[in-house]
Amino acid sequence: MPPLLKIILRRALLGLLTLLLVSVVVFAATQALPSDTARAILGRDATPERLAALREQLNLNRPAVVQYGSWLGGVVTGDLGDSLVAKQPVTQLLSGRVKNSAVLVSLAALISIPLALVFGSLSGLLRDRGFDTAVSLGSLTLAALPEFVVGIILVLLFATQVFHLFPAVTLLNPNASIFGQLKMLVLPSMTLVLAVAPYIVRTLRASMIEVLESDYIQMARLKGMPERTVLGRHALPNAIVPAIQVIALNLAWLAGGVVVVEYLFNYPGIGSALMDAVSNRDLPVIQAITLLIAGLYVIFNLTADILTILVSPRLRTGLQ
Amino acid sequence: MNDDTKKSGFDLEKILGERISRRDLFLRGGAAGAIIGLGPLLAACSSDSTTTTGGATSTTAEAKRGGNLRIGLVGGGAQDTADPHMSSFIPDDAINWCLFEGLLQYSPDYTPEYLLAEDVSPNEDATVWTAKIKADITWHDGKPLTADDVVFSFKRIVDEANPLLGAAALGGLKPENIVKVDDMTVTFTFDEPNVTFRTDALTQRLVHVVPVGFDPANPIGTGPFKMQSFKPGEGFVLEANADYHGGAPYLDTLTFTEFEDPTARVNALLSGAVDAICELPPSQLPVIEATEGLVPLNSKSGGWVPFCMNLDVKPFDDVRVRQAFRLIVDRQQILDNAYSGVGWIGNDMYSPFDKGYPSDLPQRAQDIEKAKALLAEAGYADGLTVDLVTSDAVGNGAVAQAEIFAEQAKAAGVTVNVQKVDSAVIYGDDYLTWGFSCDYWGLRNYLQQAAAGSTPDAPYNETHWKNDEWYALVQEAMQTADDAKRNDLIRQAATIEYNEGGYIIPTFKNQLDAYSDKLVGIEQNEVIGIPLGRWRLHTVYFK
Repeated sequence: MPPLLKIILRRALLGLLTLLLVSVVVFAATQALPSDTARAILGRDATPERLAALREQLNLNRPAVVQYGSWLGGVVTGDLGDSLVAKQPVTQLLSGRVKNSAVLVSLAALISIPLALVFGSLSGLLRDRGFDTAVSLGSLTLAALPEFVVGIILVLLFATQVFHLFPAVTLLNPNASIFGQLKMLVLPSMTLVLAVAPYIVRTLRASMIEVLESDYIQMARLKGMPERTVLGRHALPNAIVPAIQVIALNLAWLAGGVVVVEYLFNYPGIGSALMDAVSNRDLPVIQAITLLIAGLYVIFNLTADILTILVSPRLRTGLQ
Repeated sequence: MNDDTKKSGFDLEKILGERISRRDLFLRGGAAGAIIGLGPLLAACSSDSTTTTGGATSTTAEAKRGGNLRIGLVGGGAQDTADPHMSSFIPDDAINWCLFEGLLQYSPDYTPEYLLAEDVSPNEDATVWTAKIKADITWHDGKPLTADDVVFSFKRIVDEANPLLGAAALGGLKPENIVKVDDMTVTFTFDEPNVTFRTDALTQRLVHVVPVGFDPANPIGTGPFKMQSFKPGEGFVLEANADYHGGAPYLDTLTFTEFEDPTARVNALLSGAVDAICELPPSQLPVIEATEGLVPLNSKSGGWVPFCMNLDVKPFDDVRVRQAFRLIVDRQQILDNAYSGVGWIGNDMYSPFDKGYPSDLPQRAQDIEKAKALLAEAGYADGLTVDLVTSDAVGNGAVAQAEIFAEQAKAAGVTVNVQKVDSAVIYGDDYLTWGFSCDYWGLRNYLQQAAAGSTPDAPYNETHWKNDEWYALVQEAMQTADDAKRNDLIRQAATIEYNEGGYIIPTFKNQLDAYSDKLVGIEQNEVIGIPLGRWRLHTVYFK
């Protein structure tokens, strides 16, 4: 078996173990929350008889371990279970929302990553010049602001107070393709871009500066290599290695951080579904969404590690 | 129109405090309002109100047909339902009022008027009520409304195996006592006299009429709008019922969107993504007033957020402590700071619009010295510590109100620990047994309210109020058909609660909504808030 494949397999197995642990923790946390699903559904109208009947109906009377076991058994066979509140399969309940969130996150990633790479490397190249100072100031300011503050400022600026360019909230027409309604996505994705990009910019700038000061770049320049080759062949590939890890972490953050931004823009994605599920103690839905987010963390990190190995000659050759 | 609204105060409300709890809306069942001539039907008297419609004088002749009205709602969730007998949250409620109707409804001046029934009359002692249904009313699928539908609806509500939310309003009505007399007549027989059955029960939205074999997945009603599509937790689209017996709606469709976040809801209106929103946070009223093209809809209402003192728990078993706590409250400060001045001062008695409400009793005001003296008499001269349970789930302002009270109580030597919990906890296992807590009630008339929250067998007797003299008065009132006599009994009962009861009622809320001035005909409720003119949107049109 090729060494790389071996690494991937081992990491994938470890990832599965992580997911299992996550599901145990989430299950335990949900059990520790005061009150239960039947209470949450019935609210003030809960009479003891109706509570008992509903708990029976929802199988909440079984011991916690049995409940977890039967849920896990379902997941292993590909069945995420039914929502306790909406009484329909979790997959059916969430499919549209997962798609919406995926579109938003991908859009944010597709814009922020190239943008951040360009700004970061230029910043490093033009160290301490006007451009670098401006980018540093901007990225540090944005990094210091929580994403909901950024979102509120964007709304005030572009939707309600100053300009009226984009909708302040996302009212998706469920009968039309989301790609026909991209105007709705402008502010939410811009918020995510501004939340994510600064970290990548900062990392790339720092590693660019470090690489440019290294011996092998000086050597290349002394040998009289054209500057374009120095930068393109030697500097950038090395500078980008730390950035890969940061990008992966940020993509993973996007998958979870989208919750706050979705709330702010009333975006019909997994974020609002998760909040609703927690307040209703709707365990199968909570589990499905947290597993999805945790799964993305695992996948992004694994991908980043593999990419790092592939672009770093030392690691690549070390495998053989 | 909003001259009586004070705009002072600063925002203490918690952003998440918007989610209206189940009973909130259930209790709004007996809601009504007063049209200030905005509707095309009342165009003749609209000259006074031109300012509210942005300078438009409306006449029926100008009413334009067509258009899609987009409305922002307080979000419900995955449990949203189109079943009118299970309406809990605001989205359920909007569907219910647009799709379904009751035998009676409250007219805008808060008097019951016939809707699906043409007559509902009691026998001599009000134990048997006979309802006659109007002819020529059809369901959305074209079938005629008959006595069978009415019998089916009420049996469905009071089904003993699975009583639905409306059952509480029907005072122990048994399924076998709902009887079809002929195709258009139904009788309801009670074990005991039920004098308020027609006025207080049949006007509630939780007893709206559904067709035989009703299936909430295919919600067929008699109302002005029909269901087109429904995504629980996200929103729904309704289309005009061209055959509506009250006249076809002007609008083609209503598109409702649910918002978790009140800020997002307000932003949606400000940016023009929706044309109207319900439940504008009071702190946002100045923003709407300053925005050209938007109109606030600020209606006095009978909704109240009491502090509930449990008479079975120390120190509230002592009437002097209850009296002292009522004297600690600075009501104006709570109104200004917790509700941005949008509301009005309460006097520790509910049902302020009941004909028997003792409005001449002196308005209770803060009196720290007297409160201290009462506490000392009760044996708490050295101070007292209590826990006060509250939650954003109780509604806008409930947490702020508790925090303000805790501050005010310090002056009297009372330490109040505010415990903020989530919805599933405050209405969880300890609900109705908390020692000291906040709750929310909508407006109901006195006897209905007493039956729901104060009598010994009331389902929500959260103050554990029991008083033999009071209960005798209430029972007598429930069986007294003569209005004047009944109102006098109610007056006496309310006075006992004013002196000894377990509720502190600092304020009543206003119903606050907002809409675009492109809309004409949104009814102004003057008495109680069902949002956006009781959801009676078939007379609304775009300029």
